[in-house]
Amino acid sequence: MHDPITEELFRNAIVALGDEMALTIYRAAYSGVLKNIMDYSTAICDAQGRLVAQGLSLPGHLCSIPSALQSCLRHFGDDIAEGDILTLNDPYDGGMHLPDIFVFRPIFADGKPIVWAATICHHTDVGGRVPGSNASDSTEIFAEGLRLPPLKLLERGVPNATLMRIIERNVRLPQRVMGDLRAQLAACEIAARGLGELLARHKADGLRALMDATMAHSERLTRHCLAELPDGEATFTDWIDDDQIDAGVPIKLVCTVRKSSEHMRFDWTGSSPQVKGAINNTWSYTAGASFTAAKSVLSVNMPNNDGVFRCIEVVAPPGTVTNALPPAACAARGLTGFRAADCAFGALAKLYPQLVYAASDGGNTGITIGGYDEARKPFIYVDFLSGAWGGRPWADGLDGNTNMFANMASFSIEVIEAENPLEVLDYEMVPDTGGPGQFRGGVSLRRTWRMLAQEGILQVRADRHTHRPYGLQGGGPGTPSLNALDDETLPAKLTMRLTRGQVFRHELPGAGGWGPPLERALDLVAKDLRDGLVTIEGAARDYGVVAKGEPPVIDETATRELRERLRASRAPAPDVAWQPLDGARG
Amino acid sequence: MSLRIGIDIGGTFTDLVAIAPDGAVRTHKTPSTPADYSQGIANGLAALLNGEDVAEVLHATTIGSNTILEGKGARTALITTAGFRDLLEIRDLRMPRLYDMHWTKPPALVERRLRLEVVEKMRPDGSVAEALDPLSVAAVIRTLTRERVDSVAICLLHSYANPAHEKVVAQAVRRVMPDVALSVSHEILPEIKEYPRTSTTVVNAYVQPVVRAYLTSLAGRLAALGITAKLHLMQSNGGLASAAQAAEFPAHIVESGPAAGVVGAAVLAARLGEDRVITFDMGGTTAKAGLVEDGEVLRAEAMEVGAGVMAGARLLVGGGYMLKLPAIDLAEVGAGGGSICALDPAGAPKVGPRSAGADPGPVCYGRGGTEPTITDCNLVLGYLDPAGLAGGTVRLDRSAALHAVADRLADPLGMKITDAAYGMVRLASATMMRAIRAVSVERGRDVRDFTLLAFGGNGPLFAAGIAAELGIRRVLIPPMPGLFSAFGLLLAGTEHHATRTLRDPDAAALQPVLDALLAEGLDRLAQDGFPAARCVTELSAKARYRGQSSELSVKLPRGDAAAILATLPDAFADEHERTYGFRAPPEEHVELMGVSVIARGMPARPPLPGQIPPARAKVPASRRAWFEGAGWMETQVIDRAELAAGERHGPLIVQEYDATCLVPPGAVAGLDGFGNIVVTLE
Repeated sequence: MHDPITEELFRNAIVALGDEMALTIYRAAYSGVLKNIMDYSTAICDAQGRLVAQGLSLPGHLCSIPSALQSCLRHFGDDIAEGDILTLNDPYDGGMHLPDIFVFRPIFADGKPIVWAATICHHTDVGGRVPGSNASDSTEIFAEGLRLPPLKLLERGVPNATLMRIIERNVRLPQRVMGDLRAQLAACEIAARGLGELLARHKADGLRALMDATMAHSERLTRHCLAELPDGEATFTDWIDDDQIDAGVPIKLVCTVRKSSEHMRFDWTGSSPQVKGAINNTWSYTAGASFTAAKSVLSVNMPNNDGVFRCIEVVAPPGTVTNALPPAACAARGLTGFRAADCAFGALAKLYPQLVYAASDGGNTGITIGGYDEARKPFIYVDFLSGAWGGRPWADGLDGNTNMFANMASFSIEVIEAENPLEVLDYEMVPDTGGPGQFRGGVSLRRTWRMLAQEGILQVRADRHTHRPYGLQGGGPGTPSLNALDDETLPAKLTMRLTRGQVFRHELPGAGGWGPPLERALDLVAKDLRDGLVTIEGAARDYGVVAKGEPPVIDETATRELRERLRASRAPAPDVAWQPLDGARG
Repeated sequence: MSLRIGIDIGGTFTDLVAIAPDGAVRTHKTPSTPADYSQGIANGLAALLNGEDVAEVLHATTIGSNTILEGKGARTALITTAGFRDLLEIRDLRMPRLYDMHWTKPPALVERRLRLEVVEKMRPDGSVAEALDPLSVAAVIRTLTRERVDSVAICLLHSYANPAHEKVVAQAVRRVMPDVALSVSHEILPEIKEYPRTSTTVVNAYVQPVVRAYLTSLAGRLAALGITAKLHLMQSNGGLASAAQAAEFPAHIVESGPAAGVVGAAVLAARLGEDRVITFDMGGTTAKAGLVEDGEVLRAEAMEVGAGVMAGARLLVGGGYMLKLPAIDLAEVGAGGGSICALDPAGAPKVGPRSAGADPGPVCYGRGGTEPTITDCNLVLGYLDPAGLAGGTVRLDRSAALHAVADRLADPLGMKITDAAYGMVRLASATMMRAIRAVSVERGRDVRDFTLLAFGGNGPLFAAGIAAELGIRRVLIPPMPGLFSAFGLLLAGTEHHATRTLRDPDAAALQPVLDALLAEGLDRLAQDGFPAARCVTELSAKARYRGQSSELSVKLPRGDAAAILATLPDAFADEHERTYGFRAPPEEHVELMGVSVIARGMPARPPLPGQIPPARAKVPASRRAWFEGAGWMETQVIDRAELAAGERHGPLIVQEYDATCLVPPGAVAGLDGFGNIVVTLE
């Protein structure tokens, strides 16, 4: 039993260690996906594979590391020696999707692992049928790339040359993949040093007790926060447009949140059976979405570890799109994670209307353009666009801000143009796209590319094209997403040839609004008019506001009359709005 | 006799330090005057001076960062390439907090209707993809005149590769609006990546009219006091710049204040022959750590203004305004004397990041504070003198501190009062150790090889304890630790930084870039009045393994382009191994991605006197202080001058006007020839 000061010092130290690992990967990584988009996570786990501390990381990875490590522990049992480093990427053996490669390094005490350093990175390419290994139209995992069950990457300190050669031979950019693996090993080395110091200071029993105390502390905080919230149960249904294979067939996600005393349960029963397209979630990814939503309504941002997981239960029925069985394809499952987060937020919004925002942009759009330049040198441009939050019960949704489920950065336009045979023609906000509301949703962002190479393959994984980001409490939905090639509209998900000179444009969905738009304060409408984020026509149609001139000035008398007329004539808005509000744009 | 004067403006106090050619030092602390900071300076100078000549005025100011934090900058317009006006607001999308639905972005410094577009496009290789459309330029200029802006920023895509379009637009603006402040991206930051370049250019534009007005007003006040000496300002990069340069490129002086102390530490370290030093500057609300190796300060390539202190992690960005300019790399944490000690809802003890600030301040100040702070804990443990801080101007109520620690910490934790108070001091120390690790361990340095140089009002109190915990064996407390930033100004040299983006150039492409950069640096020094004999230049490269997405900075030897390219791969691999612990196989190509030149103007006189006479202070003979493992001990209290008589063993308290140095049992304190307190740990 340690005193509270020692426990707190230990918590600080072990969380700091997770962050130092994350910083090491950030600095040493080769690939821009890792660095710009920060699609990686680091953690410290105990001997049973329970999460003790997590470095800064992608919220979506929240539950993946314990699942993956526990799978390794099951496979290897006692066959783990000092100097061993384990790896895997198989979604059906603890992984999430093939590009996510896990690396685990044990620290030993008394001949047995006592604590583990863990990293997961999204690699640029792991082979398979398309550059980037993330097509949404693969129909089984065997098309998606190199599949690694739990294996030893190093054995007693000696690199597993066979495995390394297999990896090198099966990926399109071996230098980058091997470089990123080295960054993961470097992070584990940093952690091993720090954990070694903690072990020397506290001895094996002390270290175990302090890890237990760290998890217990987060558990107490989680229980405290859950107890503050009223009990109740609510079910929300949200939709993915389709899986690109069965085009036009919507995929249903159903989330039932039940909050009782110091416990919360997310139950995904009722969600669609797993689909042919590559958007099937593992349990861990659905759980990551559930935890992200839950943590966003808790009053304290407690350290992420097993203590939090003990109070929040996630049930995802096997064989559904929320917990797929082999050989379902899952490379583009990011989409389902985002939608699961939207759906979990929706259920929480029903329980706690004053705490939760309307639907955000629906998650990022993944865009990959790959091919070979004139010299047969391969290029792969992988980018993720995102940018709008739903209207909040207390403020507008953010414009141009990463989705809550993924703290991703955008690439520099100048770097994109310098490193790829692509020209970017614009990157800007689109007016009248935020869902109208007392607090409006964030606006859409548009980006347009021109292909400069002879030819390549364009893959787009977008959604919210037929199912818009929902509005809440009288707010309207945001605008749908848009793909266009040379001004011809395309489906939301596509894989196609792109030839020199062709111009591809994507517009993200606008986010949902919160509260009745006719109650929106005039100064907020005036600011949007000045900024050009709402047009004069949009202000009249969506907000009942009459304005004219440049810069636009609101006519308050005419506005009062128009709003009264609209209030009398419009049908009351539903609590959850999927379709444009009565009288608003179609 | 002519004095050199260092002036450092902080939120609460304006510190002045004057030094005479014989090394005699005079100091003065006066309340800052936020309505017009130059007023406070004039007040301080009037009190400090007695008709002496002034040779130089060296100044660190928070005017730049305050203007941004308070949103009181100029009415600013931004001109961009058509299709990209929202870059400034979209930023890089990232947010500094996870799972927080209340997060709100800092508002863009240029509102959307003043973000104007010209039709044009350059390619990354500097060729023209689309010619500049004169009609679009004319339309932009009509809007600028109609909207009556005070300042204009221009940032077009790929202007680092070819600034021709930016130059044409700038000339067009200048022709119609001769008095408007103009900031053009290729002059401020000729580097690839449009968001950092746009943000930096806009910050420059936003603060420029304010900084200009301030410098004009300050010059007037100095003249009124009969001071005609040149005014120099501290830049975020640690070098001084003339007032004229600072007015032209105010983005460089935004983080002026914290830089001065580190520069002072670097000069002092070089003088003392200390080649590895970690600086530790702890005040009332935050603590900052920096790194000095071989007399060189560790620099960062970018910073965020107004983001608040880091939460121990430097990966979460987006909380402030990005400035991609070289700055002294300081890791800052929210732990200071005013940091509040409290229990979280699960009963775990926490220190900070909330601070009691100056008002109400710690419980012991008796100004209405009810939550115990680190200063209260230090008082309870006997480390601080109840008779007061700042020479007795602030009296401390020990019994109030005791009660607060007992009621709010010790009782709920089930601990003794002293254990709880000491525990809080240890927690605060742990937070500060994270800042120290961020600039050392995270950069591949072994912290035990370093000397800790501590200053700031609270630095000397914590330094020995932190050093012991980190395995550092040597601690230095410079003279005037509480005014060390102002003192540091007196030790700084003039410095200009210039960089260029490259993409794996051959020698023929590199040579003209090197020549131009060196010429630019020397030219700026000439404008500052430095003869060639007192100018020094230093070259460094940004390089990476091909395929890597970030660069490392590597020092380059002097020589022509071919020689530089020949030595780069090994130099880079060494630095990579030092920082990340591994090097790639030798066949991996090292790409040169940019070069930087630092041009330094060396002062005519050696800036540092041989010795700063140790300060005398009225102190009690002893008081009871509590130490871990030993409990309460009657502890001697002395002033700095008394250490001159010889080394003393801890426990010992060295009490001065502006700071208190704690020497725990087992440590030994002495005074070196310069006047620094040297604490040696076992």
